[in-house]
Amino acid sequence: MNVVQAQAIGLPEKIIFAILAGATVAGALYTITRRNPVTAVVSLVGTFLALAGIYATLSAHFLTILQVMVYAGAIMVLFIFVVMILNREEISPVSFHGFPRRVVGVGAGIYLLVVVWDTVWRLRGVQVLRGPLGEPPADFGTVATVGMSLFKEFVFPFEAISLLLLVAVVGGLIVSRSHKQEEQAEATARRGKEIRSQVRVETRVGAIGTDTHADESHTAHH
Amino acid sequence: MLFNLRLIPLLPFLGAAILFLFGRFLRREFVHLIAILAIGTSCFVTADAAWSYLPGVREDGGLRDVVWTWMSSGDLKIDLAFRMDALSSVMCLIITFIGTLIHIYSAGYMAHEKDYARFFAYLNLFCGSMLVLVLGDSLPVMFVGWEGVGLCSYLLIGFWYSDLANATAGKKAFITNRVGDFGFLLGMFLLFQGTGTLDIPGVIMAAKGSVAGLHTVVMGQPLVFWACVFLFVGACGKSAQIPLYVWLPDAMAGPTPVSALIHAATMVTAGVYMVARLGAVYLLSPPAMAIVALVGAATALFAAIIGFAQNDFKKVLAYSTVSQLGFMFAGVGTGAFGSGVFHLGTHAFFKAGLFLCAGSVMHAMSNSGDITKMGGLRKLLPWTHRVFFICWLAICGVPLLSGFFSKDAIVASAFATHVFGEQLAWVGPTVGVALLAAALGTAFYMSRLYFLVFTGDCRADDETRHHIHESPVEMVGPLVVLMIGAALVGYLGLPPAISELFHQPDLNLLGHWLEPAVGPEMHVPENIEWGIMGVSSLVGFAGIGLAWLFFGKGYREPAHKFAAAVPGFVQLVRNKFLIDEIYAFVFVRPIRALSQVLFLVFDRAIIDKVLVHGVAFFVDVSGRIARIFQVGDVQRYLAAMAIGAAGIVFLVSRPPIPDALKVTIDGSAVTVDASTMVPSGRSLIYRFDFDGDGEFDRTGTSAVQRWPYEGAGNYTIRVLIGDPRWNTQRTLTHKVWIP
Amino acid sequence: MPTFYYILLSFVLFFIGTAGVLLRRNAIIVLMSIELQLNAANLAFLAFSRSLGDVKGQTFAFFVIALAAAEAAVGLAILVGLYRTRQTVNLDEVATMKR
Repeated sequence: MNVVQAQAIGLPEKIIFAILAGATVAGALYTITRRNPVTAVVSLVGTFLALAGIYATLSAHFLTILQVMVYAGAIMVLFIFVVMILNREEISPVSFHGFPRRVVGVGAGIYLLVVVWDTVWRLRGVQVLRGPLGEPPADFGTVATVGMSLFKEFVFPFEAISLLLLVAVVGGLIVSRSHKQEEQAEATARRGKEIRSQVRVETRVGAIGTDTHADESHTAHH
Repeated sequence: MLFNLRLIPLLPFLGAAILFLFGRFLRREFVHLIAILAIGTSCFVTADAAWSYLPGVREDGGLRDVVWTWMSSGDLKIDLAFRMDALSSVMCLIITFIGTLIHIYSAGYMAHEKDYARFFAYLNLFCGSMLVLVLGDSLPVMFVGWEGVGLCSYLLIGFWYSDLANATAGKKAFITNRVGDFGFLLGMFLLFQGTGTLDIPGVIMAAKGSVAGLHTVVMGQPLVFWACVFLFVGACGKSAQIPLYVWLPDAMAGPTPVSALIHAATMVTAGVYMVARLGAVYLLSPPAMAIVALVGAATALFAAIIGFAQNDFKKVLAYSTVSQLGFMFAGVGTGAFGSGVFHLGTHAFFKAGLFLCAGSVMHAMSNSGDITKMGGLRKLLPWTHRVFFICWLAICGVPLLSGFFSKDAIVASAFATHVFGEQLAWVGPTVGVALLAAALGTAFYMSRLYFLVFTGDCRADDETRHHIHESPVEMVGPLVVLMIGAALVGYLGLPPAISELFHQPDLNLLGHWLEPAVGPEMHVPENIEWGIMGVSSLVGFAGIGLAWLFFGKGYREPAHKFAAAVPGFVQLVRNKFLIDEIYAFVFVRPIRALSQVLFLVFDRAIIDKVLVHGVAFFVDVSGRIARIFQVGDVQRYLAAMAIGAAGIVFLVSRPPIPDALKVTIDGSAVTVDASTMVPSGRSLIYRFDFDGDGEFDRTGTSAVQRWPYEGAGNYTIRVLIGDPRWNTQRTLTHKVWIP
Repeated sequence: MPTFYYILLSFVLFFIGTAGVLLRRNAIIVLMSIELQLNAANLAFLAFSRSLGDVKGQTFAFFVIALAAAEAAVGLAILVGLYRTRQTVNLDEVATMKR
């Protein structure tokens, strides 16, 4: 294994990373612990913004912008909408159905976290994990570079993703469509048919001219 | 030829298909029009082929039409092919011509039937199958037709299936036929083993060349004997011979036109046709011929005796059919294949006529066939009476009518035959005498039937008598045609003696026609010929006279006296010698008991309980167990997944334990180093066993140990390495030899 | 900063997301936790992309964002539909497979 000496890291850099990482973790924890979904969404937006900052420190300029615009902007707005539609306070935020298994599951998660943390920590001297050596090229992570990669190497997956998005949009529409409206439309259609058939019967009766008298007497009675 | 040979069976099949699919939507007129047109066109094509094209190639095996190769496996190649030669052309003409007549008759007879289309579909299907049987160029194709007619017979016997008795009769016919069919299959396999081919011309060629394979000795007899016997078992089933004749009388449960077509004129003669077809093979084995002839003669006599005491119109005719089939088998069994086929043809006409008369009479008598309640119908049903009269005389063997010539030819050849050789020479005369007795019986019971039904006073009740009427024209028309046939068909096969009388070269047209297919007509000395003619005429008149004595114009004094004198015998005959009961006791009951056991053990216990319920139980239990985990809560599934992932990570992330030992020997001491691949900082526990006694000699955290041996020899070193932190361990062994 | 710090942060984020998915009963929060997990993956992508100097990692992160958008759209639509029929988005109340 190619173990290299850790290079010196500047203090400002350390401080920025610490602030952003702390904000991310705190936001994430806040998100999953809040009883009120609105608070959760807002803290998630905060988390994503902090993450965008971290992306910036990784010279991923394009992704930073995307993170802010698409994630913290569009997707989170969608969440806010839904939260507003369905907003209901939870009596107990934590699910207690099958609680033991969930806790064991979380325990298993913690174990996994510890194992991989331990592994990464022990391998921190490896080249890949030791981190960026030297400055990246000037155009690293710009829209141009990512775009080139996207449309040269990954055209097919890109098209597939566009199709996926289309399907998701249509699927979302169909799934969330109100059944009540449908029923109403059907009821209207049925009523229209009934009216039409009634009209037909009445005209036929009128043409024969036998029942008109009864009709008249009926109305007269009223 | 107008069309292909394949068209002959195809047309009826086509008619059947149309009627099966669309029959219920069609009007009755269209239904019978389609059916009659199908079989009528087939008859026309047959006649065209036989008249215009066959004569030219009759000597060379006839016309052949290969539709496609049915199966091909190794040496075995079977074409779906049809062949019309001299023999099958005669059969085809009989089938299609009489079939057409009976179709027309059925249109009148079944006029009030609800399932009109189904009836005609079956009828057409039967004709198609029968034509496949007759035209089949190889034994398997023939067998397809053989099974097809069996199926149609079953379907038509049980046509009125809502009556249990009819359905049972259908089953009886089918099962009895299956017994015979098994014999047919075995015979077919044996022939294939003997000749290496299943094409009928190939088999006949092999038989004529007397190939060695046919003479392989199997169980004390040549193979050809067994093949012939098994084929004859099949023929017995289909053609209702002893011991498999029992189904035919019961088959009268079907509609009368069916009885006329299937159970008198065509299907039941398939066995005779088959033996005649394979005549060359049968000629190789005189014992097999003797069996055929003797069984035929015995059946002829036995069935005739049973016919004496039957009181149902159709039952009498059924036993008569069995008896006449016995005549045919006696004919082919004595080597007179032409005569057998000749009788087959004449019988087809007069017996079909008789059956259709029976239908007409029953039609008039409100569907009752009880002859004790009939009588005096001569005046009431004039046309039916005329037809019945001629057919009756024909079957009795009155001179100058068809039955006389054909029966006479068979009896004469029985006396004149030489096919049995020296040892079995007694068979011919025995068969001849039995046939003469059977002819006497035939004349007696047929006359009894005639006198009881048509002469004297009517014994029916007023209600029935009031309704008696002559049948419509579509029923009477075919009757008249059949009557003409019954009277005149006999002139196609005039015996040589008569040719001599008129100084004509050869008046035996049929025998001459059949010559390429079944061999030259047997030479019967003139004195025997004339003698037999005289005796059989005498016998015929004697039978009629005796019947007149007993039953002329209704039951007479001698009949009552005779019944009173030997009541037991009459009862026994009326009960058909209790053959059905004996069969039921010997075969049916044991099989039923066995089936019951199998049903209880296999169906109820193994299949129902173990397989069906067991599988259901297993699925139920495993489902209940799986349901515990399938809670329907995705979050809990995810939790389980996380647990599983952690488990896998735990298992694969345990550090490895050394898997190799480094052993160095110096003198009588060894040094074992088990520390390969151990990074510093891991604390492992090593246990060393140097002398292979199962106990550890050194234990500790040190990976390197030295051990001096006390003597020379082979030792096994065992090292157990354990990791207390990860709870893993491994055992390593190493063999050393100390000099 | 050395890459492994980012990786460790990614692990922590992923774990928090997992815990949210496992423990919360509000389906909206569960969906948000899934978003957290996806972002943790994105962070790892970008960190390694920077470390290896290969822009492919960023392309993949782009795909993940698109995927997350699709997932959020469909997931939220399902929630809306669910709320229409059941008047609840509580996962304990909508698990009807075993009743």
